[in-house]
Amino acid sequence: MKIHDLPRPDFSKKSFLVIEDYEGMRGILRDILGRAGTTRIDFASSGGGALAMLEKNRYDAVLCDLHLGHGKSGQQVLEEARQRRLVAPHAVWLMVSAEKTSEMVTGMAETRPDDYLVKPITETLLFTRLLRQMDKKKMLAPIEQAMRDHEYLKAMRLVGQLLAAPGPHTRELKRMEAELALLAGDPARARAVFEEALGQRDQPWARLGLARTLFQEGRFEEARQHLLDVTAGSRSYLDAHDWLARALETLGDLEGAQEALQRALSVSPHVASRQSSLGEVAARRGDLETAARAYRRCIELGLNSPHATAAPYLSLARIFLARDESGEAAKVIGRLASDMKEDDNAQFLARVMEIPIRLNSGGEKAARKLLEELAPTLRDDAHLLPPEMAFALAGPLMRLGDMETTDALFSSLLANHHEHPDYASRVRALYAEAGREEEGGKLVQEATRAALEIMDKGVRLSREGKLDEALSLLREARHKIPGNPRLLLNHAYLLISYMEQRGRDLHLVNEALDCIQSARARHTHDKRAGELLARLEQVRA
Amino acid sequence: MSAPPSLDAESGMSMANFLVSSVHDMKNSLAVMANFLESALALAPDPSAPLYRQTSQALYENQRINDHLIQLLALYKIDQDFYPFDPQEQNLADLANDALSRVANLARSSGVTLEYECADDLYGWVDYELVLGVLVQALHNALRYTRDSVLCLIAANPRGGIRIRVEDNGPGFPDFLLREGSSRDCGVSFDTGGTGLGLYFAAVVAGLHRNGEHRGGTRLENGGRLGGGCFQLELP
Repeated sequence: MKIHDLPRPDFSKKSFLVIEDYEGMRGILRDILGRAGTTRIDFASSGGGALAMLEKNRYDAVLCDLHLGHGKSGQQVLEEARQRRLVAPHAVWLMVSAEKTSEMVTGMAETRPDDYLVKPITETLLFTRLLRQMDKKKMLAPIEQAMRDHEYLKAMRLVGQLLAAPGPHTRELKRMEAELALLAGDPARARAVFEEALGQRDQPWARLGLARTLFQEGRFEEARQHLLDVTAGSRSYLDAHDWLARALETLGDLEGAQEALQRALSVSPHVASRQSSLGEVAARRGDLETAARAYRRCIELGLNSPHATAAPYLSLARIFLARDESGEAAKVIGRLASDMKEDDNAQFLARVMEIPIRLNSGGEKAARKLLEELAPTLRDDAHLLPPEMAFALAGPLMRLGDMETTDALFSSLLANHHEHPDYASRVRALYAEAGREEEGGKLVQEATRAALEIMDKGVRLSREGKLDEALSLLREARHKIPGNPRLLLNHAYLLISYMEQRGRDLHLVNEALDCIQSARARHTHDKRAGELLARLEQVRA
Repeated sequence: MSAPPSLDAESGMSMANFLVSSVHDMKNSLAVMANFLESALALAPDPSAPLYRQTSQALYENQRINDHLIQLLALYKIDQDFYPFDPQEQNLADLANDALSRVANLARSSGVTLEYECADDLYGWVDYELVLGVLVQALHNALRYTRDSVLCLIAANPRGGIRIRVEDNGPGFPDFLLREGSSRDCGVSFDTGGTGLGLYFAAVVAGLHRNGEHRGGTRLENGGRLGGGCFQLELP
């Protein structure tokens, strides 16, 4: 056989975006696409430029180089474009790379491109892959839409229908089925897919998947074993390292967790969430040097990301304070104030952080004045503070004699995290050290009880059929305690029960979705969030 | 060029970063050069003119550098424990088409018939990029030494797994290569001017592919269907 002389595809009605920093390569891609009749090609030479184009136009296909020189990487552009829904469900995203990289074997469905092309790009390669992916995306578009609507059960049904007839995309559909099952809180179904794949061959993605299902079910030791297997062979299975770190941290092996994260970072240092995890683990171990470096990187990476938050700045400042370097801490906070000018919460937190900084550098009067000014807001909006920042503020606040604000901070912290394994004991220890042992004990008890009581009462009311009352109770509670995952899921549960009795209502669906997403953002690996999403999807009109 | 990365916990990687990004740059340049050469060949009126042959030779040299860069980088990453080895069940006719399309222009310009045999529904467990690299290198090699015909055969191996062969009708491999071609620790300096990199790479790639107790292997022979050199890669 000669190589297939493919009839040239007709791309005359398709629009393309080529994201490539190297001019020569842009020319090659233009020539090849031109041979298929394409006239609608836009070019971007940087990630920022590409996103601006994606905002204005809807493309049928995007060809994006993974390495874009300075600024955002191709991977970051893809993630931001997906996150901001700048890519249509049918659109194909092909990532072009000079070599096989760890990005190509890593990541969940939402962060993976449709395919990778390794240079050199030939006409046959480009046309074959484009046609195959266009065909696939057309088939998968309804599934993608269902996923965008958080309708995972529907998406799984559609995947099931496609799997019933053997086709060229079986492996990908299987993988999709497993991811969806995990999102819908059905780890058993996901596990069946992973185990079937492992029955054929040992495959890193399937073993990682298996470990994730075990993790979701709280079987951390077994998860750890599988993750060690996957990561032993190569440093490049990046998300397996992230999960290994998570498992080790849960099992109390902070040193191992730090090592796992550092191994992954040695291959791929440009991931903010991984740097931030390293910062946390290292800080908990007292390895302030490493923690500071990680948070610094995290800040740098945030400059290119739509997800930048104040958290790494605050953490870094905290570490400088712990090392008695107030000047450095002040610099970091100054940078936070200027980097996040538009963000009121960030501005507020930056000012709050100035209190301990001033106090530490001998400005007790200035610190006191600032505290007086900020205290009322601080008490009302205590939930905005990252937990570790609250702990860092406790000493200075007590030194300045503001017990009321201290108590408010920790009441809020504990009410929002009543299930956390060690916050309560840390708060008790803090108060005991300040000679307020009794107050500390009482505060812990009351704050924890507040959350539990609301839930008990909500359940009782709903059992008695007083769903309206139960709902208003949970809504009110959400104002006071907005970040407690268990309360949020209870809230969603009530909304769903309400609709199951009285019919679907768009506002309530959105309220429930909002609760579930917030809970999931705080407690990513809790299968209850997925279970509720699945139930919400089944509520009939 | 950006400032050198600071020395810190990731300093071990900064050399790797330079290496990787330089290879990316070089590959881009080679791709543009290859594109020029291919356009020149397409426009040239007379395939028998010396200029045509020289352009074709330049294209071959260009692709050889490209192969070597890919191999060096992959070997470095394998050695440093961060090559993303990821065997998946892949359609092998696609692999054959992909590989052959990368050398098709070269074959055409050197007047070599290039064919393959592979069932459309044949699948095999391969790390696509690595095996593609081995196959393209073997094809380049065959194109260099063949008289006028190169054949790529991909089939299920009766002993399990798959067998990929690249055969030609040239003079065949010299004896010392036949002796060393199937060992993993190939020497690095051959009289032929080659560095042994290609064979070493192929052997490493074969060895990475495992199924239970079985590992892949490579082999050089003379004969085959076309009577010249045969390169064989078996994967479990």
